[in-house]
Amino acid sequence: MIILQLDHVTKQFGGLVAVSSVDLEVPQGSIFSIIGPNGAGKTTLFNCITGFYRPEAGRIIFDGVSLVGLRPDQIAALGIARTYQNIRLFGRMTAIENILVGQHSRLKSGLAGALFRLPRTRREEQEALDKAHQLLDFVGLSGYGDMFAHNLPYGQQRRLELARALASEPRLLLLDEPAAGMNPKETEELMAFIRRIRDELGLTILLIEHDMRVVMGISDIVAVLDFGEKICEGTPQEVRCNPRVIEAYLGKGAA
Amino acid sequence: MGLRTGIRMGLIAAIVTIFLILIGVHMLMGRLLQSWFRVPAHWPGVWLMVVLLGMWAGSRAVGQMKARSWGNALLAGASAGIIQGALVGAALYLLASITQAGVDLRTWLNQMSKESIGALTLGFAPLPAAGFIGGVLLVSALAGAAWRERRLRVRAARLARGERMISLREHLLEIPAISQVSNNPLSRRVLIGVFMVLLLIAPFFLGQYWNYNLGTVGIYVILGLGLNIVVGMAGLLDLGYVAFFAVGAYTMALLTAPQPHHIQMSFWLALPIGIVLAAVAGILLGIPVLRMRGDYLAIVTLGFGEIIRILSKSDVLTGFTGGPRGVRNVGHPVLFGKDIGNEFYFFYFILIGVILAIIITRRLEHSRVGRAWRAMREDEKVSQAMGIYTLKYKLMAFAMGAALAGLSGAIFASRNSFTGPEDFVLLVSINVLALVIVGGMGSIPGVILGAFVLKGLPEMLRELEDYRVLVFGALLVVMMIVRPQGLWPASRVQLERPRPELAEEVEAPAELAEGEVGS
Amino acid sequence: MSLGLLLRLGIGLLVLAFFAYRFYGVLVRGAYGAETWARLAISGLIIGSVYAVIALGYTLVYGILFMINFAHGEVMMIGAFAGYFVLEAFAASGFSARQPVLAIIITFLAGMTVSMLVGISLERIAYRPLRGAPRLVPLISAIGASIFLQNAAQLMFGSMRRTYSNPPALERNVGWVLEVAGKPVSITYTGVLTFAFSVVLMVGLYLLVQRTRLGRAMRAVAENKEAAALMGVDVDRVIANTFAISGVLAGAAGVMWGLHNGIIYHYVGFIPGLKAFTAAVLGGIGNIPGAMLGGIVLGIAESLTPAVLDMPFQLKDVLAFAVLVLVLIFRPTGILGEVLAEEKV
Repeated sequence: MIILQLDHVTKQFGGLVAVSSVDLEVPQGSIFSIIGPNGAGKTTLFNCITGFYRPEAGRIIFDGVSLVGLRPDQIAALGIARTYQNIRLFGRMTAIENILVGQHSRLKSGLAGALFRLPRTRREEQEALDKAHQLLDFVGLSGYGDMFAHNLPYGQQRRLELARALASEPRLLLLDEPAAGMNPKETEELMAFIRRIRDELGLTILLIEHDMRVVMGISDIVAVLDFGEKICEGTPQEVRCNPRVIEAYLGKGAA
Repeated sequence: MGLRTGIRMGLIAAIVTIFLILIGVHMLMGRLLQSWFRVPAHWPGVWLMVVLLGMWAGSRAVGQMKARSWGNALLAGASAGIIQGALVGAALYLLASITQAGVDLRTWLNQMSKESIGALTLGFAPLPAAGFIGGVLLVSALAGAAWRERRLRVRAARLARGERMISLREHLLEIPAISQVSNNPLSRRVLIGVFMVLLLIAPFFLGQYWNYNLGTVGIYVILGLGLNIVVGMAGLLDLGYVAFFAVGAYTMALLTAPQPHHIQMSFWLALPIGIVLAAVAGILLGIPVLRMRGDYLAIVTLGFGEIIRILSKSDVLTGFTGGPRGVRNVGHPVLFGKDIGNEFYFFYFILIGVILAIIITRRLEHSRVGRAWRAMREDEKVSQAMGIYTLKYKLMAFAMGAALAGLSGAIFASRNSFTGPEDFVLLVSINVLALVIVGGMGSIPGVILGAFVLKGLPEMLRELEDYRVLVFGALLVVMMIVRPQGLWPASRVQLERPRPELAEEVEAPAELAEGEVGS
Repeated sequence: MSLGLLLRLGIGLLVLAFFAYRFYGVLVRGAYGAETWARLAISGLIIGSVYAVIALGYTLVYGILFMINFAHGEVMMIGAFAGYFVLEAFAASGFSARQPVLAIIITFLAGMTVSMLVGISLERIAYRPLRGAPRLVPLISAIGASIFLQNAAQLMFGSMRRTYSNPPALERNVGWVLEVAGKPVSITYTGVLTFAFSVVLMVGLYLLVQRTRLGRAMRAVAENKEAAALMGVDVDRVIANTFAISGVLAGAAGVMWGLHNGIIYHYVGFIPGLKAFTAAVLGGIGNIPGAMLGGIVLGIAESLTPAVLDMPFQLKDVLAFAVLVLVLIFRPTGILGEVLAEEKV
């Protein structure tokens, strides 16, 4: 079953075509990687999916719902969560609070609930806090929960960002270069972790990554973007041998 | 290296010093010292300022130096002091000789009276006076440089020994009694209880004057807590906050006063109407402006505040709002047939408002709504990606803040029995913003402290009178540079439950958490 | 999104309908003759050119630091005072009667120099330590600086209103007289001077930014500070220069304001400052031709609208702010578009 489908998605900035008529079909439960040189339009594609950019043309269908024209918060509520290339946490909030914000679209209480401390709100808050603790354990941040996010070491920030994304109980998780700045051992752990969340939580993962070991190691399908166009798609093996891919990465003549 | 930073700093310090003399701050310092410490004359304060400015120049010059050595430090201090001293001396020479020639400088420079210049020349002729002030500045700059160099060395040595720098708060927490109270919820409650009792009996002992002034502080606490929701939590810089204060006050006034409309409604009915109308105004104003970039919001809200003031001052609305003359005989609250509209009763009334505002802010702060606000403040785009409909939450913040402003406006109008355009100048917005920032954005005790410092203290320091607003402005700049988190910053919530099996691990991160630095 | 669109459409239609209705009333009554309209347009053009010069200062700084230099209006006010003192001395010594041209030139130079110094100190003391801080921090500092300067001026110069002593050759409210529909419409000398000098300043600034080394460095810093620094541009110096230039412009505007309007006091920079910011946004912030256009459009608009809407002229300022709000609702990027590095998503 296809959970996310992109159909001829095109995004331009002024005269520059950042994403040009890209088709993607992401099967449910897969780990789907998008690779490509810098400026190939990968992050732009993420921004189109999450509603920060409105594509000029094309359709984006998530589990039968068209995403084009929806606000980012509506898309998040549908079950799409993301992390960022350069970590973007809520710096002056604690780790637990960051995770609680991640649960925002799964919680309901509003102004009245908070002002009058309605029983329903208190129960909800209690459950949210329990869940935050679980997630903290899950990503291995127990004991760091009450620290301001910007005081956490780099590696912990990455994990916290993942926990925050998982807090919204997404069905599709977009990871933007999660292995950036990690050493080989940490990368290894990250790959195991990504597999684990796919298997245990049953979600679909769309991944942008530069580290080829990660891409080749865990992806079910890899799509290659170059100058905004998809130049090839297939299993890691197929992509690795594709002459166009080698050309895009290494330049003409290398193939 | 030390020479160049010294010269640059000396120039800046000279400009600042001359500027402060021209606006008469030295005389202000003299008067302040006179009244605070019963110093018999004003010259000690005047010269204290001169010395402090010299020390500041020297110390800043050393602080900006890159290469650390005693020779360098003294060179920087000396060059800063010489430049500052020479320029200030020259300026004083000019001012003193013109005054000596019998010209009254006040025609152009309002503060340059004979006494004001005399306090700096100390009765000497212009030339020796200039030399003297230059010398004093030079010596102070050297002293400042030496002091700073020593401090930097001590600190470096301590860091080398692996000792952590600790803040004042941690120092305080090391005292057993204080850490006991701050960690033990019971003793904390007792402390708050004692404070409450003190507040409750205070009006019986304070006179009319102090009851009134404390009431004013309370009104500003409510305003500050309201603006704190908008600026501190949601991160929306609203400079037209006074508009909602005005809506509350005018609603109260127009509904309860005999003129210009003959409604004369009861205070108790007009109060909720004022709050609701203010909140509605907040939403109405918010709808068009909240899509804007953050800094545009500041200027547009400022524009709105000015529109409200100009409109209320103009004759266009005289029929409706009483125009420039305002509204007289605003209704007082009546309870059990008794008019409780004096300072004494209003003190309690405002106290209830303050407590209400505190409860509201506290409950919101750590709810889903408050978290959404703070997430928005930290990173608007990411908060959207987390599912927060920012427009809705911005409107909520605007409405809540406006409602609190409406509450305080309504009380304010009724307490003064009068309201008019002059109550709603831009300065009110600035005042409230300043107290939120000085106290600590996002921090409830900070806002209360800020209100006492900025509204309460000036009442005690009558000498400050003309310089009050000037000081507010300077405070905003200085706080942003020196301590942007405010006097009493917001504390972190402790949400993580200690789990026995993790007890050992918890130690390590707790260490890390202490070394908090603003990023 | 559609709700927002609907809302904007609604507000737009309401505003248009209101305009049409009031203007129709004015025309039908024939409340104002052609000469009044001409007079209003001319005074709007002149005041608008002053707004344009101030707006350039906002736009320059915003384009580079993404910060509203709130105290810019106060920089202008101090320039106006500097010019006032110089002219006062010249008038007393009879110099401005003997050498009016030289006197005016020196007055402008004095105002521009003082404002430049204030601009540089402002950046150095209140803004530079805050580089890299969260967005709200320098903005609050700027507001503080604005309040501080305003009150410092009040303390220093007193709160009375002072009248510029123009040289006899440049008397206020004296000028050429045109004939419109058989009625006289005067074009004052001060007005012509203001307008002409504004145009010179705008062209000069445009050339400076487009043609010189400094201009190139400024554009590079505006585009990307890190990259510019890597390329050997001294970012601190470029920013200081930007504040110096915007101070010079503010000083010139202050002297023009004094010469043309006559009255100055400590609050004189505040409202023009706000309006000039409006003008900068109107034209598209960061955009130099935009600031000029925005200033002139705003000047003419605020001069004509009270008449068009048949409202008292004391509501002029309200209308100017209303323009700001409407622009920000309908076209937040301004008439000519913003010139800013791309927003982070």
